[in-house]
Amino acid sequence: MISRRRMLQAAGGGFGLLGLAGALDAAGVIANPHVVAKAKRVIFLFMNGAPSHVDTFDPKPALAKHEGQQPSGKLYKKSSGSGFMPSPFEFKAHGENGVVMSELFPNLAQCADDLTVIRSMHTNVPNHEPGLLMMHCGNLQPIRPCLGSWASYGLGSENANLPAFVALSGGTPVVGPQLWSNSFLPGEHQGVAVDTNDMNVEKLIANIRHPSLSRPQQRQQLDLLLQLNQLHASQRQQEGILNEQIEAMELAFKMQSAASEAFDVQLENEQTRQMYGDTVFGQSCLLARRLVERGVRMVQVYYVTKGSKQPWDTHSNNNDGHRKLCADSDRATAALLADLKQRGLLDDTLVVWTGEFGRTPYSQLDKKKDISKAGRDHHHTAFTTLLAGGGVKGGFTYGATDEVGMHAVENRVHVHDLHATILHLLGIDHTQLTYRYSGRDFRLTDIHGNVVHDVIA
Amino acid sequence: MLRVSSIIALLGCLAICSTALADEATEFFESKIRPVLIERCYKCHSQEGNAYKGGLTVDSREAIRRGGESGAAVVPGKLEESLLLDAIRYESYEMPPDGKLPDEVIQDFETWIRMGAPDPRDEKTVPTQERAKAEIDWDVARQHWAFQPPQPAVLPQVQSAESCQTRIDYFVRSQLQQNGLTPNNPADDRTILRRLYFDLIGLPPTAQQAEAFYAAAKANRTEAITQLVDELLASPHFGEKWTALWLDVMRYAEDQAHIVGNNKELFFPNAYLYRDWVIQSFNNDLPYDEFIRLQLAADSLTPEDTNDDVALGFIGLGPKYYRRNAPEVMADEYEDRVDVVCRGLLGLTVACARCHDHKFDPIPTEDYYALAGVFASTEMVNLPLNEEVEVEKGQAKNPEDSRHVIRDRDPKDLNVMIRGDVNTKGELVPRRFLRALTEHDPQPFSHGSGRADLAECITTSTNPLTARVIVNRVWGEYFGTPLVRTTSNFGALGELPTHPELLDDLAFRFMENSWSLKWLHREIVLSATYQQSSDIIAEKAKVDEANRLLWRMNRRRLEVEQWRDALLSVTGQLDASVGGKSMNPENVEEHRRTVYAERSRFQLNPLLARFDFPDPNAHAAGRVQTTTPLQKLLVMNSPFMNAQAKQLETRFAELEDNSARVDALYQTLFARMPSEQERHLALAYLENGNWHDYGHVLLASNEFVILD
Repeated sequence: MISRRRMLQAAGGGFGLLGLAGALDAAGVIANPHVVAKAKRVIFLFMNGAPSHVDTFDPKPALAKHEGQQPSGKLYKKSSGSGFMPSPFEFKAHGENGVVMSELFPNLAQCADDLTVIRSMHTNVPNHEPGLLMMHCGNLQPIRPCLGSWASYGLGSENANLPAFVALSGGTPVVGPQLWSNSFLPGEHQGVAVDTNDMNVEKLIANIRHPSLSRPQQRQQLDLLLQLNQLHASQRQQEGILNEQIEAMELAFKMQSAASEAFDVQLENEQTRQMYGDTVFGQSCLLARRLVERGVRMVQVYYVTKGSKQPWDTHSNNNDGHRKLCADSDRATAALLADLKQRGLLDDTLVVWTGEFGRTPYSQLDKKKDISKAGRDHHHTAFTTLLAGGGVKGGFTYGATDEVGMHAVENRVHVHDLHATILHLLGIDHTQLTYRYSGRDFRLTDIHGNVVHDVIA
Repeated sequence: MLRVSSIIALLGCLAICSTALADEATEFFESKIRPVLIERCYKCHSQEGNAYKGGLTVDSREAIRRGGESGAAVVPGKLEESLLLDAIRYESYEMPPDGKLPDEVIQDFETWIRMGAPDPRDEKTVPTQERAKAEIDWDVARQHWAFQPPQPAVLPQVQSAESCQTRIDYFVRSQLQQNGLTPNNPADDRTILRRLYFDLIGLPPTAQQAEAFYAAAKANRTEAITQLVDELLASPHFGEKWTALWLDVMRYAEDQAHIVGNNKELFFPNAYLYRDWVIQSFNNDLPYDEFIRLQLAADSLTPEDTNDDVALGFIGLGPKYYRRNAPEVMADEYEDRVDVVCRGLLGLTVACARCHDHKFDPIPTEDYYALAGVFASTEMVNLPLNEEVEVEKGQAKNPEDSRHVIRDRDPKDLNVMIRGDVNTKGELVPRRFLRALTEHDPQPFSHGSGRADLAECITTSTNPLTARVIVNRVWGEYFGTPLVRTTSNFGALGELPTHPELLDDLAFRFMENSWSLKWLHREIVLSATYQQSSDIIAEKAKVDEANRLLWRMNRRRLEVEQWRDALLSVTGQLDASVGGKSMNPENVEEHRRTVYAERSRFQLNPLLARFDFPDPNAHAAGRVQTTTPLQKLLVMNSPFMNAQAKQLETRFAELEDNSARVDALYQTLFARMPSEQERHLALAYLENGNWHDYGHVLLASNEFVILD
């Protein structure tokens, strides 16, 4: 949503006398895509706390053979559990190309041919805060803009009446607002944070409706404002910044109705709402679909609850935890993919499903050492990320971890590479989307990142 | 002889055999290795191509064995030690970055190294390490305009000298004249009045203050303006207005971006003591050099003074990152400190040199570590506020009972961290100042951590940057556009000043006038340049549309602080008390000025964030202004704005005559009477609408938020 005028202002140019045209358009800084854009928009499903790769999409039968053995080699943190722990879940191949996943994903199994499963993800550290920041902002400290802000800056919104970037979350995830922060990019690129615990439209978006005036009454009020502002501007040679304010006000009035409609999942039929599941995450996924359908560029959906900022952090009861969490996530994710597909949106909507890292293939036990309640610890040298739609291959499994799922060993994909690939799919060369700040050009991938061409259809 | 000849024969055989071996080895190199190096590596790593990424070149035997910043790329016979192998296997670096080499090629490299890395390519040029390092010709480097001490300029001749009011006007008009432009006429009384109030104290004039000024201006305009300026400069609200700028510069905040659970141990509940100190310093016109010295080193300069001690919040309120005390995390914290000092005070992007020599400015990476060492020798401490406070190991047990400051720890110099990696140590660098800003070789700091020495280097009158940088920031606040648009980058990639002589003259005289900020403010607001109208004259706009030459005053949107304060002021709710703890600016029960708003690194208040408030996780060079529909949704619909409208209605409810109420509103909000047309529109609306919604319109109007 950065206009030419605001570019000048960002450069410190003060208020110029540019004409009105385009002063508030929703375009980004990239006039022509660097590469062919296969995706127009992104839905980023985030499993806060980090799902276990060996219980979901990366089967490791060898864990049974090595059960109880302690991992060898250099570990970030000493293993305090019972050693390697096999997954209790059954894995099967699905779809035409035999994408393998555990029994925890009966619905997603039906979408197997739409998925790219990257089993060889890795990141820098196994701590949530820096891990989350790396996954969102490509940096371990909270001083960089996030992926969604970069996308907004680069591409703007497809719909001037809606924000370009929305973050949906049924509570606050760990780290929180920095995950949708524009940091040094202009403020308009900050993700609009929406708490999806209450799906009532007026609760969802701050200030979306006047507390007492009806729409015609408010129009009357704004007509007076418009007249006064025009009178004021006419005495000031119609200066650009005055007209920009007037235009923003008119856009806001339109946005009220556009956003009220876009954010209202009650407008969906019962069957569709049921398909996603009657959970906060499920309904958030449905809302995400409504938003991208109407031109929102980037929607982040966080799997958090009122009670937990990171439900997937299964240090104990890993198996039970995953059973419950996957049931919800599976249903909602599969519904989202099917729904997008049915509407012809999946082809140019990229869906990402990931956590900030993976979980240890070996167990973690609490003081009572009760193996039935075993958990898994944070693990950063291997984890799985799913991609679907938006120009990625379907029914494709990429990369591999070692025999026991400790380390990504084949076709390794760092988070920077994932970012480079997402931007590439959006038509952006990650090395060219830059912002001059603090004396140099910054980019999402810093000095890293390679596009993973192998996953692109 | 026989023995000798047989030895010779033997040697001959050996020679022949080894030649045969060498040929085979060379053949292997020429066929399997050299083409790959040329095709996939030379682009970034060859002396011939003048490409020295990571300090590594691979186009000679010596260079490839010597390696780059990380160490030897190839160690003959030793696969484990050859970093090149790690890199092409994508184990450490991932080279080549555009795609991994095929496995058989990687195996060829293994074979080659196992063979002893035969390589016939002799080095032709000087060793890589030295070439890779920035070779700075310091005499040339110091020629950069911003590294030259500012000089007082000779006043240029201008045609309209009689209407110049301060030296500023001569410089501005000289450049206007060269471009065939003339300055605008002086702004009218009302415009000047509102401009001065908002700019100097951040509040609108009340209707009574406006009336008093109009009367005085009628008698003697120049005197009335001067008197008003002096009054406003003496107001306790002056410091409040200008503190906002400083809080952006020093990334003031009261919490941390990383919050683990409900752990608030790393928070700064009494950060406000620092803010109050800044307000008082501005109000008392503490000289700017002393202002900086105290913020960097009050503990050694005025050790007895606990009031000045809180000034150390400049560093002491910095971000504390997650897992702090881990070496790599502390390295990130040092960067924040170096950055806030260098960009904030010197307008230099020294932090760019953390991983490599600065690409554009004469700042070698040693200079970065010379400064980082100062902060590695400094610790952030919570000192007890008074004697009753419970203390543990010298610090207050509860942060609520403390002031958040800094103290020296055992001084230590840092090794250069090669490529910014804490585990790859380069040379040890003594703590010292930047070489580019020192006439000869900089001497190591000798007092404790070196903060006091550093403060001295920054505030000495021969430092070419410090005065220019603050003068430029202040100028930018008044005109909307600074003289150097890159306010925190005066380096090679920064912009040149639009008015270099003016910047120099102001900076020089600012120092001559004891670094008095009030002198600087006065000098600016008394200029004809500042006092001219903001009218757009079409012919002038054709020549200089962006008004870089200042032929008119720029119209400016109020900053969020001025805007919220103005709302509270015109609705009669403003609590004008100076200083104290922070509050939530969105809370309609809070009536204190916006400078007292909580600034959070975790979650910026939505009202502030909506109106372009900078992220306090890092130094902010300035504010970017955006205009968005989301801002207007807040203006139209928010509980906050509706509460203001309600207050406005209540304030004038006792006036029964509609016309009189409209008059009162215009006088209060805009320091003028409504026009006939405006009055007519108001009365027409009020036939069906109510006062609440009408007042809301005026509060939402452009005239309210945009200063002429």
